[in-house]
Amino acid sequence: MQMKAKSRSDKFFDVIVALVLGLWGLIILYPFYNSLLVSLVTQETYVKTPFMLYPEEITFESYLHVFKSPYLWSGYRVTLFVVVVGVAYSMFLTVTMAYALSRKKFPGKGLVLNMIIVTMFFGGGMVPFYLLVKSLHLVNSVFAMIIPAGVNTYYMLIIRNYFQTIPESMEESAKMDGANDIAILFKIMLPLAVPVMATVILFLAVDRWNEWFNAMMFIRDSSKHPLQLALMRVIQDTNQLNVGGVPAAQQKPLFSDGVKMASIFVVMLPIMCVYPFVQKYFMKGILIGAVKG
Amino acid sequence: MKTQISAFHSPIKTAGKRRSLFREILLNKYIYLLLLPGVAFYIIFSYIPMYGVTLAFKQFIIKKGILGSPWVGFRNFEYILGEPEFWKVFKNTLIISFGRIITGFPVPIIFAILFNELREGAYKKGLQTVYTFPHFLSWVIIAGIVRNLFSNDGAINNLLFLLGAEKYNFLASNNLFRPLLFITDIWKEAGWSSIIYLATIAGISPELYEAASIDGANRFQRIIHITWPELRSTVVLLLILAVGNCMNAGFDQVYNLYNPLVYDSGDIIDTYVFRITFLTNPDFGVSTAVGLFKSFINMFLLIAADRFLKLIGERGIY
Repeated sequence: MQMKAKSRSDKFFDVIVALVLGLWGLIILYPFYNSLLVSLVTQETYVKTPFMLYPEEITFESYLHVFKSPYLWSGYRVTLFVVVVGVAYSMFLTVTMAYALSRKKFPGKGLVLNMIIVTMFFGGGMVPFYLLVKSLHLVNSVFAMIIPAGVNTYYMLIIRNYFQTIPESMEESAKMDGANDIAILFKIMLPLAVPVMATVILFLAVDRWNEWFNAMMFIRDSSKHPLQLALMRVIQDTNQLNVGGVPAAQQKPLFSDGVKMASIFVVMLPIMCVYPFVQKYFMKGILIGAVKG
Repeated sequence: MKTQISAFHSPIKTAGKRRSLFREILLNKYIYLLLLPGVAFYIIFSYIPMYGVTLAFKQFIIKKGILGSPWVGFRNFEYILGEPEFWKVFKNTLIISFGRIITGFPVPIIFAILFNELREGAYKKGLQTVYTFPHFLSWVIIAGIVRNLFSNDGAINNLLFLLGAEKYNFLASNNLFRPLLFITDIWKEAGWSSIIYLATIAGISPELYEAASIDGANRFQRIIHITWPELRSTVVLLLILAVGNCMNAGFDQVYNLYNPLVYDSGDIIDTYVFRITFLTNPDFGVSTAVGLFKSFINMFLLIAADRFLKLIGERGIY
């Protein structure tokens, strides 16, 4: 919609911007590329070649070592469980609450809303939280990663705002047909809110997938460690990969950096593959939240 | 006269209200049913721990639990405020948080402005995927990558060596640790943080730009006089939130990147509390006292930032 042709200084500006942004893109990509290289070479190559830009020889020995480790596999199992159960549980709590709070007036609505907002600013802190989880007998249980992470206030408000934009006429005609609030939620609101829900589900899934802190505080059993915690232990000490029995047979000493980078890639792989496809959901989610919130 | 009549009417009105309040509750019973799980969750996991804050004023004896432990008044606070190590981490927390704001806060803004100028297309979309990707990775992963990159045999040091400079021990140097925190944080988050600004910019009417270019403004001037003023209120809001949050200096990142050699510059309140609570001889009362102290400072800073910005003419949060 330009009324006049771009001046030369404009075009020059365009080129500079494209270059600077491209450079930034390379800066983001480079550390991943470097880690990939380290994961694919032997210790000799790594030590011999200062500043590798391409691998002279590729070896999969680091990856093989990682794949033979029961610790990472159990990590994957635990994390998948936590993601599936955790997201279902969180969505149940979040959607019911979001819907209820999106209804017009009812006694106590303001009270509940204020109660929730307060929690965004005040908390008991780490110690009371720890004592609470302990008293709920969740210590050393995978549910310690799921139950305390129930409702994310920010996501709940996003869904609530969306419900509020659904025209009242739909609710009214359903009520005239005799439907109660629960039926309205399931038959009318949810089908209409699919995009928002998909976005929040994705956000929740990423949060569960990246969970490590609660696990570190509460879970002693290494077979119950989620993926991120397993990775953290491996980065601290590659011998962790032997945890769970069947120590990997070694012909020569382990290339620990290579194994660490291979572990990182194995853990990163699902997100790397899925992200380009779901990226737009995440961005839409932020926009809905930011514009309305 | 009017007041006399309404005073006469009000008892009747109140009785009517009470009846309809009960009816209101009954009418909305399903809403309360739907509300129940979520409210129960907040009560259990947000409000009950708040009661645990009383531990800050008690000496915690495990066998007696929170309720049974004896009160010690402000003794925990006196203890912690007298600990030089506490002041060290308090100072670090402030320095790191404000350092993050100074170095990291402008980047997404500049980024959004530049990115907005780019022509739509596959290049732009691809770049956006790349920029926003690191935000979704945990610090466990990113710290693992960073540790390798900046290690003594790692690529960065190798590059320095090739260029004739000397190698640095990035991860163990008190001078370099904080800049490392800032840089890696920008690397991870700038792309994602810029989205909010991008959305705001996208909302600016193109006619404003056209009018400006007809008046002879070049790209740069258009950015300063149109884009920036529109961004200002979002920037101010986010700045207030960032300042109000500055007692949380990024536990995830620091915990995954630090080691005892850099405690002097890198240890923050949260990592300090974590260590004294779980790793050494825990005194839960003291740990809770620190957490409480932190919350108060947070509140204070939030209000102060809000007031300050209102003073210089911006709209605040409250």
